[in-house]
Amino acid sequence: MKKIGLIVNPIAGMGGSVGLKGTDEGVYKQALTLGAEPITPKMTKKLLSHITNKDKIYLFTAPNQMGEEYVKDFDIDYKTIGQVGKNKETSADDTKRIVEEMLNSGIGLLIFVGGDGTARDVCDVVGSQIPAIAVPSGVKMFSSVFAVSARAAAEMVDAFIEGTDLTEKEVLDIDEKAFREDRLAARLYGYLMVPNVKPLLQKGKEASSIDKFSGDNKNEIAKYVVENMDKETLYLLGPGTTLKAITESIGLHKTLLGIDAIFGNMVVGSDLNEKSILKLLKKYELRKIIVTPIGGNGFIFGRGSKQFTPEVIRQVGRGNITIVGTRNKVNKLECLRVDTGDFEVDNLLSGYTKVIIGYREEMVIEIK
Amino acid sequence: MSPIKLNMNEIPYLPPQRVIEAAQKGLSNLNRYADPEDLELLRKLIADYSKVPIEHVVVSAGSNLLLKEIIHMFSKGRSVIITNPSFFPAIQCVKQYATKLTRIQLVPPGFNLNLDFIINELNESSLVIIDNPDNPTGKILLDKGVVKTIIENKNVLLVVDEAYFEFSGITCADMVKRYPNLAVVRTLDKSFGLAGARVGYLLAGKIFLDAFSTFYASLPQSSLYAAIEALKDHRYVKKNIELTIKERERVSKELEEIGFQVYPSSTNFLLIRTGIPDIGSELKDRDVLILDLSTQWLQGFVRVSIGTPKENDIFLSSIREVLKV
Repeated sequence: MKKIGLIVNPIAGMGGSVGLKGTDEGVYKQALTLGAEPITPKMTKKLLSHITNKDKIYLFTAPNQMGEEYVKDFDIDYKTIGQVGKNKETSADDTKRIVEEMLNSGIGLLIFVGGDGTARDVCDVVGSQIPAIAVPSGVKMFSSVFAVSARAAAEMVDAFIEGTDLTEKEVLDIDEKAFREDRLAARLYGYLMVPNVKPLLQKGKEASSIDKFSGDNKNEIAKYVVENMDKETLYLLGPGTTLKAITESIGLHKTLLGIDAIFGNMVVGSDLNEKSILKLLKKYELRKIIVTPIGGNGFIFGRGSKQFTPEVIRQVGRGNITIVGTRNKVNKLECLRVDTGDFEVDNLLSGYTKVIIGYREEMVIEIK
Repeated sequence: MSPIKLNMNEIPYLPPQRVIEAAQKGLSNLNRYADPEDLELLRKLIADYSKVPIEHVVVSAGSNLLLKEIIHMFSKGRSVIITNPSFFPAIQCVKQYATKLTRIQLVPPGFNLNLDFIINELNESSLVIIDNPDNPTGKILLDKGVVKTIIENKNVLLVVDEAYFEFSGITCADMVKRYPNLAVVRTLDKSFGLAGARVGYLLAGKIFLDAFSTFYASLPQSSLYAAIEALKDHRYVKKNIELTIKERERVSKELEEIGFQVYPSSTNFLLIRTGIPDIGSELKDRDVLILDLSTQWLQGFVRVSIGTPKENDIFLSSIREVLKV
């Protein structure tokens, strides 16, 4: 039997659909008032349901909403470690204290469900003592330590049980305050050891290139996109400098990291959350989403732009999604990825697609 | 000491002495243009070698020139489809004339061409250009069935670059008689060991032949004579291929033992996935040149041409030195 720890950050990811870009520093209370729903229960259950070697695991789980609540529904031997009040607000300190207790209990692997903030807390305590598996459930998840999805994390657990190698992956420190102010400030925070199952691990976000060629390339893309825009259509533009170049080319302002809407050459929504996007979708009959993949890992939905929820994507439809990206970024991708948290929507999006990489220039690549 | 060149997919062996002497004979006529009769003889020898009627053969100073001409002649008003990465010349020309340039990303582990996607794209007038075997993956992307599926669509012009055909043995050259919208581009640069002579040829279907009817590409006499002599008796090419394939398999096996991922190849080079950052620079510091594809394609991929056994040994020992194994 493998002794494995499980800890869930119950508030991770709640800021995403309401456009708050994280839950650090009490922002999750704001998320609650905006109607955000917890997403970690779904992710944790998905993880647990897809582990095939359940009979070879002895799970040390954090209490209540930090793990136990979900584990008890599965046929897995477990023991609860640490204390935290049921339905009480949890904090980074709870995560760190309970992980410490799990280490003292002799776990050989830690599974955690959360985002970049949770990864930093785990990194503080675990370091390189034991390997970890990071189940993506936050808003941004720019660190390369994360599995590409909860299902992939389950496969990594199985690979660990069957004795796979380990590799070192990055944990990034994203300044959420700066992120909410439309700036991306990231630094390398540390490393965690993870089971080495390459296709199941995401790559960390690569910084956007700001060299001249890249700038010219973004302008080329913008020119082509704008030439094909229609004044009767609502355009929902995702985050990123390539998207910003599109609006700038028609003299409009766009938030760098938020989702903005334009219609008939006017900005009709800025830094939108799911609710306000759905409101716009009711108002406008013709609508399109334009997104760019995250450099390095290729995510177009499910990382960094959680406001594009499964419901939003379903309403807009696969055929109305335009993907753009610089040659330098797209050339280096083996595929595009989606992890919306909704299996059906992920399936709807999967398959071959075209990415606009220049003026009248496209790349055919698979969405997985 | 000059560096070991494993970055250009050249054959490391000189052609036979008689071919070198023929090139030297050409140099002694430097003040003269090539004789049209000699050019005709070269076309005939290429036709015999390729088993294609002579009227389908166009000769040129290098296959790149032919590809550039094809772009100039046929990309205007058409959508151009190529694979990615591509070392295809004149990409900028494509962007100048074509309605659209579509690149199809080839990805590991299979590097397969998504045929369904291509077929869907062929509703509009298209020019499809594909290397077969592919450079840099070394994979055979097309067989005759796939070629037929593509060219039975009348909107399409298909150009197959068979620069490495002699290593794969796979060709669709015989189909140019039947399909006017098919052209095959080849070169004597690779298996014939004549990279310095720059002799390329086109085996063309009627649509291409008509467009090339006014094309006249004279060759330098040294290249012309060398090519004629090489084609008169090309048994040495078979030896080049055998030696290269034997070495390719040996190098591949040793690289796998070192721990690299090496992909199957039907060419004179190997595509390798390494986890070593800047491996190209590390080897360059040791006077071994390879092609690092990380800057233009996927991270960690390099292409290594197969050299002589001695050159390959130096490459392998340099790799071990970098890895300290």
